[in-house]
Amino acid sequence: MRPLEIAERALAAVPAGVEAQATVTAERSLLLRFADSRPTQATAVDDLEVEITVLRDGHAGGAMTNATDADSLTRCSASAVAAAEAAARLPASGPRLALPAAAPARVHDGYDEATAALDPGRGGEALRAAFDAAARFGADAHGIWTAGAVDTAIASTAGVAASDRVTDAFMKVVALAPSGRSGYAAQTAVASKRLDPAAIAARAAGKAMATGTEAKLAPGEHAVVLERHAVAELLTFLASLALNGLAFAEDRSALSGRLGSRVAAARVNLADSPRYPGTLPRAFDAEGVPKAPLALIQDGVARAVVHDSRSAALCAAASTGHALAPGGAPDGPAPTNLVLIGGGAEDESALCRTIERGIYVTRLWYVNAVRPKQTLVTGVTRDGTFLIEDGEITRPLADLRLTDSVLGVLGRVEELSAESALTGTSEFYGRRFATGVMAPALRAGGVRFTA
Amino acid sequence: MDALLADLMDSALGHADYADVRHVRSTTERIGTRNGAVDRIERADAEGVGVRVRVHGAWGFAAVRGAERAGAEAALARALEVTRAQPSGPASPLADNIPAVGTHDAGLDGTDPFAVSLEDKLEALLAADQAMRVDPLVAVTEAGFFAHREERTFASTDGALCRQRLGECGGGITATATEGSETQVRSYPASFRGQVSQAGYEHFAALELAAHAPRAGEEAAALLSAPPCPDERTTLVLDGEQLALQLHESVGHAVELDRVLGSETSYAGGSFVAPSDAGSLHYGSPLMNVAADATVPGGLGSFRWDDEGVPAQALPIVRDGVLRGFLSSRESAARAGAARSGGCMRASGFDRQPLVRMTNVNLEPGDAGSLDDLIASTDRGVYMETNRSWSIDSRRLQFQFATELAREIRDGELGRLYRNPSYAGVTPEFWGGLDAVCSWGEWRLWSVLNCGKGEPGQSIRASHGTAPARFRDVRVGVA
Repeated sequence: MRPLEIAERALAAVPAGVEAQATVTAERSLLLRFADSRPTQATAVDDLEVEITVLRDGHAGGAMTNATDADSLTRCSASAVAAAEAAARLPASGPRLALPAAAPARVHDGYDEATAALDPGRGGEALRAAFDAAARFGADAHGIWTAGAVDTAIASTAGVAASDRVTDAFMKVVALAPSGRSGYAAQTAVASKRLDPAAIAARAAGKAMATGTEAKLAPGEHAVVLERHAVAELLTFLASLALNGLAFAEDRSALSGRLGSRVAAARVNLADSPRYPGTLPRAFDAEGVPKAPLALIQDGVARAVVHDSRSAALCAAASTGHALAPGGAPDGPAPTNLVLIGGGAEDESALCRTIERGIYVTRLWYVNAVRPKQTLVTGVTRDGTFLIEDGEITRPLADLRLTDSVLGVLGRVEELSAESALTGTSEFYGRRFATGVMAPALRAGGVRFTA
Repeated sequence: MDALLADLMDSALGHADYADVRHVRSTTERIGTRNGAVDRIERADAEGVGVRVRVHGAWGFAAVRGAERAGAEAALARALEVTRAQPSGPASPLADNIPAVGTHDAGLDGTDPFAVSLEDKLEALLAADQAMRVDPLVAVTEAGFFAHREERTFASTDGALCRQRLGECGGGITATATEGSETQVRSYPASFRGQVSQAGYEHFAALELAAHAPRAGEEAAALLSAPPCPDERTTLVLDGEQLALQLHESVGHAVELDRVLGSETSYAGGSFVAPSDAGSLHYGSPLMNVAADATVPGGLGSFRWDDEGVPAQALPIVRDGVLRGFLSSRESAARAGAARSGGCMRASGFDRQPLVRMTNVNLEPGDAGSLDDLIASTDRGVYMETNRSWSIDSRRLQFQFATELAREIRDGELGRLYRNPSYAGVTPEFWGGLDAVCSWGEWRLWSVLNCGKGEPGQSIRASHGTAPARFRDVRVGVA
């Protein structure tokens, strides 16, 4: 049975006259892990989730099940109705939610039939290619290859009857040299055939095997070149801390009261662009609102934050199609297709050229917010940190702890690379929901390191 | 179900060096209020089967929803298919284990939290939510309830067949105050969704959220105008909740044997600890005694058997400051030369394969008396309470934590409030500075509800027993 049919059956299980949305998410995925150039754990998932959200007088209640028989759907519906009624019986306060009306979503090219086949043979070949490439450098390969196909369908009493199919593929390699140094590279795409396992492993191994005595830098402010992986990590935190409509509505966002103001360097242009070439497109958000481009920071000026129905209600605004859950996720809405527009530098080497002494960062690890309203975060460099001297990468550098404001770093951006690439997520806690940030590398001055 | 799982394992024999299967059925309820209104009421039911096979040293796993024979058989076939498609490698042995047989229940005593009406739970949450709004600077108030029940049945080609039923319940509150560019947060009894135990509804009721709510609101507002935590090296006293996360990040993860052996390099990272360090590495001061105890009642890392069917154990990790042991699985234990697994394999649900995870990694209490006694015996320093932010490098050495609140300690008394407190250190040096741990009367289990690891990601819940403790010569005010 197709997901939309299941969603319609789930909606039919809700009593007549009750406002409701039924969402079906079906995941089939395959993930192959490896360590020391040997396969370790392979995981294949085939699961489906039915979520029924009921609104009673603007109050939401929800229930989920991964069973699709009639009895299970009826029980799920009853739980959602009971939850909404319990909420509605209480003294009225908080935002009154409404189901978004049906609206046409644009088609996209985010589905690849061959990737959806989840051929373990293709994954096995990817591992072999990565192991061979790393071995040519004298390094061991650690990492994952994964592909997934996710079907989403929404049916609601407001007339939404929509379905979407997406695929995603991701491979990363952490190459480990005999010296203990490591290097990282990764690719994300809609189609697994777009991944180049040998090239990924070679780039990672090249970093791990870089020669030269490891340097150490004292904490302080340093000029940096951030590879796209590090840029994407910082932008992801910016999204949750500042571009989040719920945080904005509750005066917890760095952009609260600052839309229209300069918040970053003039060369910073950030948008959520669900059909940008090379990204992972989606047709609609978790409330069935069609995805559409939204300028967030233009020429360094804050232009918008993203909304779901709840944050929109709090701000007397309209949903921008960024709901992560029906009725709004507890942590608020989020952009899922961030695009930072590139600049004029040919590549990372060109970005290094004006730095007398600085730090080249491949990626950041274990980043966490320290002071959310200041977008102050902390995280550690990892898997490819180098010293830049007189405009060139000269030797490996011991990892450092970056503790700085994301908007502060964006305010000190001096240049960006012309080329961007998609940096995807691979963690997939819960149901697979692949997102990515299209980002260039960038150079920024005066970035603060605390250890 | 038992027959299906046993048949499946019979089918796996001859196709895999080893195989196991878990059938898991779970129900979870999350209720949240925000700013005086109901924010979410959600109930989630899930059921499925996960089959794990081992072929030539590599693990393959396939999960399918439901409990139908055809689906489970397809999952076994898929697990074998994906494992065989990978490059072959040398096989390593699994540590011996006596097959688990029997049943076990925990956390099911007392009142079933799912049998308590939604109205009663909402009444408790809304009362706490309202009681936090004691100051106009409090911008966001949140109260949450959590309950989870799970039945998991395990079988293996070794002949294991066991069933466990586990229940969890708890909750917490958070007040967020804002002014200008500052946000300050106070939580009770713990940050990041509160305190959960393997227990019935009585555990949630005993938290008395409404009674503690005014203080949360008052402190959140007061922090906005408090001076920043000074940047200095000083004596640091940590409350039990923050110490639990310190223990989790800088000890628990560092002694996971899969990390130590390099199997988690691509995501979670490695460890500064080597297998050969057991018995010789000075992890901390002689006052540091840590055990991983999967048998402690109420702990979220407690069970009778782990997800490989290995019996729960109380493992010595650090004794008198010296590293003694690791968290392990049958595979990692054998690779490290141990005779048996530490019984630390856990999976977050039917659709994930088990990994080496923390059980209840506990710091044993000392003899420093109460927290008041500890403060009274401290001339000068900073007291920090309730985690707000955490970060540690991929080898679990250099860390930086922030807490919600700090107070100056001067002449044995708590003094003025500090905002934005933080501290940083390097694991063995930090634990080497441990010079006092409070006594049993202050010791309790703290829950960590969002421990992430693995690819695809798995979030599990664990508990850590701690009492407040004192550390000398710590860098504070770093962020």
